[in-house]
Amino acid sequence: MYYKIVILICKFVYKFMKLLGKNGGTLPGNIALRLNKNILKHFNITGNVIAVTGTNGKTSTTNLISNILSNSGSVVSNREGNNINTGITSLLVKNCDLSGNIKCDYLVLECDEHYIPVVFKDLKLDSFVVLNFFRDQLDRTGEVETLIQKIDKFLEGYTGNLILNSDDPNVSRLGFNKSKCKVYYYGVEKFSGATSSMRDRGEGKYCPFCSARLEYDYYQYSHVGKFHCPNCDFGKNNIDSIVSGIDLKKGKFEYNNKTFETRYNTIYNMYNVSAAFMLSSIYDISMDYLYESVKGFELNNGRLESVVINDCPTVLNLVKNPTGANVTINYMNQDDEHKEMMFVLNDKIADGKDVSWIWDINFSILNNVDRIITSGTRAYDMAVRIKNSGYDVKKIEVYQSIDEAVNNLYKNNGKKYVIFNYTATTDTRRAVLNYKGDKNGL
Amino acid sequence: MVYKILYLYPDLLDLYGDSGNIEVLKYRLQKRGIECQVDTYSILEDKPNFSDYNLIFMGGGADREQSILSEDLVKYKEDIISAIDKGVFVLLICGGFQLFGKYYKDADGQVIDGLGIFDYYTVSGGKRNRNIGNIIIESQIDGEPYKVIGFENHGGITYDISNSFGKILYKNPNNTYDFEGFMLDNVIGTYLHGPLLSKNPALADYIIKIGLKCKNKKEIELEPLDDELENKCRDVLITQFL
Repeated sequence: MYYKIVILICKFVYKFMKLLGKNGGTLPGNIALRLNKNILKHFNITGNVIAVTGTNGKTSTTNLISNILSNSGSVVSNREGNNINTGITSLLVKNCDLSGNIKCDYLVLECDEHYIPVVFKDLKLDSFVVLNFFRDQLDRTGEVETLIQKIDKFLEGYTGNLILNSDDPNVSRLGFNKSKCKVYYYGVEKFSGATSSMRDRGEGKYCPFCSARLEYDYYQYSHVGKFHCPNCDFGKNNIDSIVSGIDLKKGKFEYNNKTFETRYNTIYNMYNVSAAFMLSSIYDISMDYLYESVKGFELNNGRLESVVINDCPTVLNLVKNPTGANVTINYMNQDDEHKEMMFVLNDKIADGKDVSWIWDINFSILNNVDRIITSGTRAYDMAVRIKNSGYDVKKIEVYQSIDEAVNNLYKNNGKKYVIFNYTATTDTRRAVLNYKGDKNGL
Repeated sequence: MVYKILYLYPDLLDLYGDSGNIEVLKYRLQKRGIECQVDTYSILEDKPNFSDYNLIFMGGGADREQSILSEDLVKYKEDIISAIDKGVFVLLICGGFQLFGKYYKDADGQVIDGLGIFDYYTVSGGKRNRNIGNIIIESQIDGEPYKVIGFENHGGITYDISNSFGKILYKNPNNTYDFEGFMLDNVIGTYLHGPLLSKNPALADYIIKIGLKCKNKKEIELEPLDDELENKCRDVLITQFL
C-alpha cells in the first residue's frame, strides 16, 4: 500500500509544479524513487511497453514511433527526452491512476542506454529497439565495449521482441545466441553517399566472437554499413525491414514497394525510419499510417530545425558526439550555397567535460563555408580545432558569450548553420530565435 | 625537408581524439614549408623501418584493443630501442605510454606484457576508480618551465617512473599522485589527451625540433607562428583552473 501513498504524493508535486507554470521535469520521479526505490515495479501498464535506446537518434525515433502508433491506439511517451529512471518515473506518475494503473495501448519510452537495466528490471518490456552505439562522452559514459556488454547481460533474461540495426556491428551482435526472445533486424540499402572506406571515426572493427577484422562492402556513415566477419557467421543476418531507393535531396525513399516522401534528409534518419517501420510491422500497423507519419513529421527542438532569422535561412542542429557532428557536416556539404557556420561548445557535466571528441570531427571537407563563429565555454578549443584542420584562421571568430556570437552571426546575410552541444541547446535556440536584428539600421 | 611520422596502430588506438596530435604537427610543419609525411602501421602489415622516422607516435585505446596489439608490438622491441638511441622522437599517449613499460595489470588482475623498454609499470586502480578530468602540469620544455594542459581519462596508475613529464598543478581530486608521465630528451609518455599538442604549441614545436635535429644532425630554427587562438585558449583554461 505504501507505493500508493508515494504515487499520491508525487501526483501532488506534479500538480503543484504545474500550478507554478513548470512542466515538472524529473522532480516527481526523483521524489518517487527516493521514497520507494522499487516504485517502477508497482505500475501496471495495460498496453505494450516499447523502449528505444542507442547513442544517436533516440528522441527522433521515439517521436516517430509514437506518431505512427497513435494512429492505431492511445500512446504515452516521454517525447521530450527525459530518458533516465527519474524522467521515466515522472512520466508514469503523471499518467497513472491512484493504484498505479496506466491505461494506454502503447507506452513508448526513450531510455538512456546506460539506464536500460535499471529501468527495465522492474518494468516488463514487450519490444526493445536498439539504434546504434558510438563513442559518446567518454569521460562520463566510459568505453562503448563496456556499455554493449551491459546491454547484452540485460538481454540474457529478455523474452520480448528485439529490434536491431543489422548494419551496426555493435548492435547486431546483441542478436547472437538470444534464444529466449524474438530477434528482428532492420537495415537501409546502400545510398549514394556510401563510401568504400570509413570516412569518420568508428568503433567495432573486430569481430566480437572470433576477433577477426571485420570486412565491409561499404560504409553508410561512421562504422555503420554492410559488414561481415570473414571467419564466422557474424554479420550474415536475415533482414526483416529494409528502407531502399533513397534520394536524400528529393526527400524520397521506398519501403515495401511504396514510395515515401519525407523531410528526413540524413542517412542516420533513414535508419531511424527503418527501425520505426520494423517495429510497426510487428504491431500490424497499416502502411498508410506509416506514409502519413513520415510525410508530416517535423521536430522543432533543435534537431535539424529550420527557421528564418533576419531574412537568413537558418538550420539549427544539436550534436553530442563526433558521429552526430560528422553526419551534420556531411548534410551541410550537400548544400552548395555559400553559408556561414556557428559552433557552440560547452563542457558542462551533461556534455562531458572532455572536449577532445571535437578532434574526431572532420572539418577539412567544408563546402562553401565563408565564416565560422565559435562560442560556448570551450569556444577557443573549437576555434583551435577548426584552425588545425586547415580552415583559414582569418575567417574564424570567437565570442564566448552566446548573445554576442549570435549578433555577429547575423551581421552578414545568407544561409546559416548553427550547431551546438547538449547544454548549449537552450541558450543557443533562445539567442537565435529571439534575435531581433538590425536590418533597418536600428 | 621532410618530417616523417610513424603512427602506430591508428585503427586500434584512436579513442580520445589522439590523432589530433598528428593534425597539429602537420599543420605547424606545413605552415613553415616543411613537408609532413605520415605513415601508419597496424597488425599484419609490413614491418616499418623505425629508425627512418623523425617521430614515432602511439595513442590510447580500449583495454581489449590494447591486449590484441601488445603481442604484435613486442616483436619490434629491438628496432624501437635502436630508433630511440638514434634520437628519433617517441610520443606515447595513455595506452601507448603504458605499453612501453614493463607490464599492465588490469582490473581483473590479468597481466598484459609491455615492451619493457622503460622500467615503469602500470596497475589498474579498479573498475570504478578512474582518473578523469582536466589536468595542468608544469614541465620543462627546451629548458624553460611550461604549463602543459590536457585531459586525463585512465584507470591505470603508473609506478617507478625515473623522470616525470611534469609536476601536477591542477587535477581531479580523485587523482592521488603529484607527478605526471615520463620524459627523456626524445621521449614523452603521458596520460594527457586533449589532444595533448592542441593546447600546448611550444611542446609541439619542441617535438618538431628534436625530431628534425635527429635527422639533420643540427639544430633547426623554427619560424614563430601565429598562435593567438591557442594562447587565448590557454589563458582561459589556466585562469579557470589555477
